[in-house]
Amino acid sequence: MLSASSKFLKFSRRTLLAVVALPLAISALGVSAQAASLDEIKKRGYLIVATEDDFRPFEFVKDGTPTGFDNEMIADLRKYAPFEIRQEILPWTGILAGVSTGKYDVAITAAIITKERKKSLDFTSPIADATHYYVKRKGDDSIKSVKDLSGKTVGVQAGSALLARLPELDATLQKDGGKLGKIVEYTSYPDAYQDLALGRTDYVVNTVINLQTLVAEKPAVFELGQAVSGKSFPAWAVAKDNASLVEFLNGFIAKQKETGRFAELQKKWFGQSFPDLPVTFEPEF
Amino acid sequence: MTASDALSILKGAGATLTLSVLGILLGLPIGLALAIARWAQVPLLGRIVALYVSLLRATPLVTLLLLLFFALPNVGVPIGPYSAALLALVMNTSAFNCEVWRASLLAFPKDQYEAAQSVGMGAALRFRRILLPQIARASLPGLVNEMSMLIKVTPVLAVVGVVDITRAAQRVGAETYEPLPPYLVALAIYVPIVFALLMLQRWLERRQSKAELAS
Repeated sequence: MLSASSKFLKFSRRTLLAVVALPLAISALGVSAQAASLDEIKKRGYLIVATEDDFRPFEFVKDGTPTGFDNEMIADLRKYAPFEIRQEILPWTGILAGVSTGKYDVAITAAIITKERKKSLDFTSPIADATHYYVKRKGDDSIKSVKDLSGKTVGVQAGSALLARLPELDATLQKDGGKLGKIVEYTSYPDAYQDLALGRTDYVVNTVINLQTLVAEKPAVFELGQAVSGKSFPAWAVAKDNASLVEFLNGFIAKQKETGRFAELQKKWFGQSFPDLPVTFEPEF
Repeated sequence: MTASDALSILKGAGATLTLSVLGILLGLPIGLALAIARWAQVPLLGRIVALYVSLLRATPLVTLLLLLFFALPNVGVPIGPYSAALLALVMNTSAFNCEVWRASLLAFPKDQYEAAQSVGMGAALRFRRILLPQIARASLPGLVNEMSMLIKVTPVLAVVGVVDITRAAQRVGAETYEPLPPYLVALAIYVPIVFALLMLQRWLERRQSKAELAS
């Protein structure tokens, strides 16, 4: 038996090597990605941008084609940049991690600038106003103003900055003797809206732009409430200390503002333009 | 939801099917090789395989995938979303397949193997003619079970940017703010895929029992 099994082993070892090497060989066909400064990007000839696919009106997919505010900005960026733009589309969950590990150079999405995120990322000039509002079911008379939100169940997207803004809402509610109710987290906002419509949550907190688009699309189901946060802005995110890339992207945004294209795209996708956006923003939260 | 929305979900089915089929085709022989390495008690290698399989069985697929996707580029191995997804899928399923194969190997009657040896069959021939046909039959239900699990965990792969059936449906839902119709379409695609797999299993089993009756 012993000699037999050792002969048998030669066979299985070879097989083993072959089959283990195969997926490794396949994996080597993947796309290369390393954190890069503007000089390195120019030298290698391409910039890798990451966008989301279910964050209407910023980025979403219509009939198989990526569209929305950020995707139109990327189309303009392709003309502006002296290098190629490579776009990767993935869910929100992996985007900021991918940027901070250098897998993608920039997240061209609406990432709210927060103190927490500033620790691992740098941000460009804000691209919109992201003051947070609440949205409720149409005809839900138990919520008339912010103070009625006390004790009610709220839905937000997991890992979104809005979670961080909820303490701010809690503080506001406590002034009137109320408190924040149960928080339910969803992997993406569409699920949160669906649960709100089904009555599993009482309100959803998101930026005014997202909610305005939602309410415009489904006026019979949802109703926009009031602001629940102070000033807040979304911007594009790059890896920490990649100052040269931030400068390049800010130059692009400044040019878009100058030509009026920025306001035009904001009007088209958000229903309003934001002429007073700051060039840089230091978050309080 | 429009016809082109349904079409984009159908396109997602292309990714689901490709990844599932490749995952199954690669995972089966790798699982078998791992099982044999353990079963034959190859010094060192057997131990390593045992550790590797236990680790992989304990690691959630999504964690493994994120680890491969974000960590590999940092150590100089460039990897795209689809190759990372396939690698994670193959690593995961081969670990589970290994245990299915190994169970059949352990139950395999030793006397048959020794009988084959006594008539002078070589190792490769013994494996092909005596061992494999019998353990393949014994492993089939367990393997098909693992295959249908594999198809149903593919939505997890979306986390790195793979657009499978479920992700495509989610995109449609995000665009129309009506998530239910696209999910129903997605379900209507999954069911026949898994059903076809089960039909294949039934056909294989019937073919085997016919062959047995004939012999």
